[in-house]
Amino acid sequence: MSNIDTNNSPVIESGQSAWIKYFGGMALASLPLALFVDDPNWLNIIAFTYLMGGLASSWNIIGGFGGQHSLGHGVFFGIGAYMTAGLFVNYGWTPWLSMLIAAVTAAAVSALISWPTFRLRGPFFAIATLAFNEVAFVMANHFDSVTGGPRGIMIPFKAGVENMIFKERWQYALLMFGFVAIVVAFSVWLRRSRLGYYLLAVREDEDSARASGIHVLSVKLQGMAISAAFTAIGGALFAMYLRFIDPPTIFNLQDIGVKFFLLSLIGGVGTVAGPLLGAALIVPFENILRVEFADALPGFNLAVLGFLMVLAALFMKRGVVGAIQDLIQRRRNKREPS
Amino acid sequence: MDQILNVLVIGLLLGGIYGLVSIGLNLIFGVIRIINFAQGELVMFGMYGCYWAHVQMGLSPYVSVFIVAPLVGLLGVVIQRVVLQPLQSEPSMQIFATFGLLMMFQNIMLALTGGEAFSVGGSLGTEVISLGDTKVSMVRLITLLATTLITVGLHFFLKRTMLGKAIRAVTQDKRAARVMGIAVERIFLLTFGIGAALAGLAGALLTPIYSITPGIGGNFIMAAFAVVVLGGLGSVWGAYLGGLIVGVVEAFAGFYIDPVLKSAVWFLIFLVVLVVRPAGLLGQVGAEEVGFREQH
Repeated sequence: MSNIDTNNSPVIESGQSAWIKYFGGMALASLPLALFVDDPNWLNIIAFTYLMGGLASSWNIIGGFGGQHSLGHGVFFGIGAYMTAGLFVNYGWTPWLSMLIAAVTAAAVSALISWPTFRLRGPFFAIATLAFNEVAFVMANHFDSVTGGPRGIMIPFKAGVENMIFKERWQYALLMFGFVAIVVAFSVWLRRSRLGYYLLAVREDEDSARASGIHVLSVKLQGMAISAAFTAIGGALFAMYLRFIDPPTIFNLQDIGVKFFLLSLIGGVGTVAGPLLGAALIVPFENILRVEFADALPGFNLAVLGFLMVLAALFMKRGVVGAIQDLIQRRRNKREPS
Repeated sequence: MDQILNVLVIGLLLGGIYGLVSIGLNLIFGVIRIINFAQGELVMFGMYGCYWAHVQMGLSPYVSVFIVAPLVGLLGVVIQRVVLQPLQSEPSMQIFATFGLLMMFQNIMLALTGGEAFSVGGSLGTEVISLGDTKVSMVRLITLLATTLITVGLHFFLKRTMLGKAIRAVTQDKRAARVMGIAVERIFLLTFGIGAALAGLAGALLTPIYSITPGIGGNFIMAAFAVVVLGGLGSVWGAYLGGLIVGVVEAFAGFYIDPVLKSAVWFLIFLVVLVVRPAGLLGQVGAEEVGFREQH
């Protein structure tokens, strides 16, 4: 599944080097925001790229590090979006508070639905998580007193930092940047923490992990809960940015649920940088396609994404990050023939 | 009492449809151990094929099925050869790739048609026959009969013919089958081809019932997963039984609880089965684990 390091560099990167890379990467990632600060169209794309990068990184915590390729993260995304929007519209709660409540709720729900599904392996796990996404979709349509049903929830424009509603696009972009910066920082830390190594061990070989004394189910549940909590926060940001949510938008597989998997895989699943790179490459590209072909060929952007998925599965299983690593490796081998 | 009977009949007929779209998926799932997310899109291709045959040449779907189903089967062979064969022992990548195919097929069709819904006109779709007090839609009855016939046919194909026996041998133990001189890869190609052709056939038979949209596959695929898991992985009769159960449950839930919630009800049943007995009602216990262990 993942690569085995064959070069002579130490297997575990030092903490210092990882954090230097992190700050370098984040500085690079903030450049577009600084460059396009006056262009609302690009700012919109940039804000979405940050948001999707953060969401893909959240998915990557259990999907990449833990190897549990969930297709049901739309559920947690929906919990974040609906709780935050609902509490704001009906009770005037500030999204800053309700998104944290939503994160805790999503973590609890994730434990509840993962406890039975984590015993399933491979395709069965994928179908089961997919089914939860569908159940959530049906529920959101049905309980219209809470969710507005098919009509959705419209969030009124009341600008103010306490309402997480801003007049300027760049403020939203900055908010999304903050989100992705926090999720990636957490990933950098997690990757080098005890839980991170446990997750990797479970991904590589569940039976061996169990034999070495790791409580597999507990590790998976912890990873899923963290991942779900961050995903819910992403959902909350999405709702407050769009200011309109309805079930077909939130529980859409092609645009939300499977998108996290897609971005991570194209960038490099299971690496810290991968989901971010995937989002940086795919989200702007897809947005441009969507706008260019909206009238002539509707759906063309998604067809291209589908094609890229097939290509990635066949030729770039370790994503862009993996391809770059291979390139560096080949260079190094050429220089010092062994 | 009449009401219950009515709902039961509606459910059984719906179950025939679900069974029909699941047979191919189940065969592929059972033999090659691949979840084909794009199966619903193969059904959709079958429907569009029959629609075009109807518009261009005035053929009835019951005639054009003989052209359309083999063509969709051929597409299936190409998919298996080009996309899935290289991903033999990588279940995650297979899921990812077939989901990519789903997005590709669905959205190419959306781009081509502009999202306009088509339907094959004519009196066929509205004809009813009376069985006692209940009125039964003609085309749905034909579908249920066809599902039954195909299930019986597939049963005998797998039990009696040499090719069917080879397919079953591969299902049971890939390595032993290879030792016995069975060309496993060729059996996989053939199986995916048959599974895809069955999807095309399902599409053809459903053309008079549904209006055709690029997203129609989505209506079937989750139901088909539920049917396959419920009935039992790779069991021919399991798909049939599972289809009828899902259809009846949906009809009763839709009538007595709430039409919006009907699919949530069978999803919950499906999840319970997945957790309690992942092998399904008629499947072999343990198949869901052993099958996905790497075999070479």
